[in-house]
This record gives sequence, C-alpha cells and structure tokens, in this order.
Amino acid sequence: MSGVVRAAWRLGAAAVRGRAGRLLSQAAGEGGGGAAAAEGSGGGGSGSREAIERLVREHPVVVFMKGSPEQPLCGFSNAVVQILRLHGVEDYRAHDVLQDPDLRQGIKNYSNWPTIPQVYLNGEFVGGCDILLQMHQSGDLVEELKKLGIRSALLDAEKDQDKK
Amino acid sequence: MRGSLLAAGGAAMAEGPLARTVRSKLAAALEPSHLQVLDESPRHGGAAGAGTHLAVVVVSGRFEGLPPLQRHRLVHAALSAELAGPLHALAIVARTPQQWESDPSVPARPPCLGGSKHERRGDGNGET
Repeated sequence: MSGVVRAAWRLGAAAVRGRAGRLLSQAAGEGGGGAAAAEGSGGGGSGSREAIERLVREHPVVVFMKGSPEQPLCGFSNAVVQILRLHGVEDYRAHDVLQDPDLRQGIKNYSNWPTIPQVYLNGEFVGGCDILLQMHQSGDLVEELKKLGIRSALLDAEKDQDKK
Repeated sequence: MRGSLLAAGGAAMAEGPLARTVRSKLAAALEPSHLQVLDESPRHGGAAGAGTHLAVVVVSGRFEGLPPLQRHRLVHAALSAELAGPLHALAIVARTPQQWESDPSVPARPPCLGGSKHERRGDGNGET
C-alpha cells in the first residue's frame, strides 16, 4: 500500500473511531453490550479495511447481509438473495453482519454507505437492494453478471420462451 | 392489525418528527419537484410515526447524469445525522423529473423478516 493511501486510510480510521466513540456512549445508554461493536475498523480486526478488502475480492459476487441466503433475517437482505436467485446466482459469498459487530460497522465505513445489505461485484460496491432491484429491472444486472463470466438464468428462460 | 392499517392509510397521516426532519432536509438539499416520505416503521414492528424505517421518493433535477449509486449517496449525505442516529432503515427511489414523468410507479417494499428483532438495532435497504 502506498504511503499516501495508508495515510488516507489512517485518517479515515480515526474519523471512524470518533464515530465509534459516540456509538459506545449510545450503547451504554441503551443498557450496554455495545462496547465490542463500538471498536470498529481500526487495527486489523474483522472490520478493518484490509479484512474487508480481502472479503470483497474473495468471489465475483459478495453480499453483506442480515442473516444468510438460506435464512435471511431482513426483508431487504432477502430481496437481494431472491434477485440473485432469479438470475441463477446461487454460488456467491454472503456475510452475516449480525454475527459480527466489527464487520457490520467496518463494511459501512469501507463503502461509505450507511445501510445493509451491500452488494459487491468484482470487488466493487454496486449498492443496496434498491439499486440491485433497479439493475435487475433494467437488464443491467444481466450485463454486469456477463462481465463476471456469469450467465444469468434469465437469458436461458428467454431462450426457452423464444422457442415456444 | 392496526399497525398495517395505519401504514396503509398513508404516511401523511402519522408523520412523526423524524419523518418531518427528513422531509425538510431532503427538500433543502435536493430541491425536489416531487418528494414523498413514507414512514414504514409499523411494518417493521415500530410505532407508527416513529420514523425509524422510512422510504423516500425523491424526484430532482440534481440527479441528472448521475448513476443510481451517486444519487443515493446524495440522499445519504443530506440525512447523515439521521442515519447515524435514529433512522434505522431507508429505502430510496431517486429519479429525474423526466424519469418520474415516464414512470411514476414505486416498487413494492419487501416484507419485513424481523431484522431488528434479531438484534438490538434494526437495518434497512437497507438498514444501518
């Protein structure tokens, strides 16, 4: 990592720690238990920039969600799973942020995006469930999957229809 | 189910303070030609008017030429304080006036699967 990038990252991490400090006091107000969550993405934990960088590059399709594809625990996360399923994409990496408060905070810092779910294609953040839905409806998702070497199941569905 | 009836009745009915703040911040930041702020908190187990789960429809010329990701980022930027605080979930429809004219429909919201009940703080389109 170049010196400039490393310095920028440290600045970002410091800003995050500031925010983490506020979360800590909020958690205390709510009755505690948030201490682990508050210590966010500094220093190489699961919520660190480096750890997340590794995660998003693990596979062409990576999703950070609540629950799992087998059992989504949030309607928006489920929408992402369902859309991917429609396209025949069942082999992807899904990370349950409810299992890991550091990851939950870290992923928001990484993408500078405040909400879950988050979808990454080829290591690049593409958006949440609203955007994925738009991409699905516009046909963009089929194109993006094609770029990743993934053939959308919807293309085959269309082909079958043409045959009839 | 009173909660869902209230939600079905329309957001204007039970617009709490958070939804009002969101509305005025979006109006100021994006000067929309059309703006809807829907409080979906009852559909996620929250109190009507709580404003913890909101859906916004923003139609603004400011979105011209911007891809969806950047449009959503503009909305987030306007609401950064709320998203860092009580606003747990935010669904966004962001269109230019032209797009809205040719398609004024809004996609159906996905049903809640418990999200916040599985964990202290909830999340949306998500959720935080």
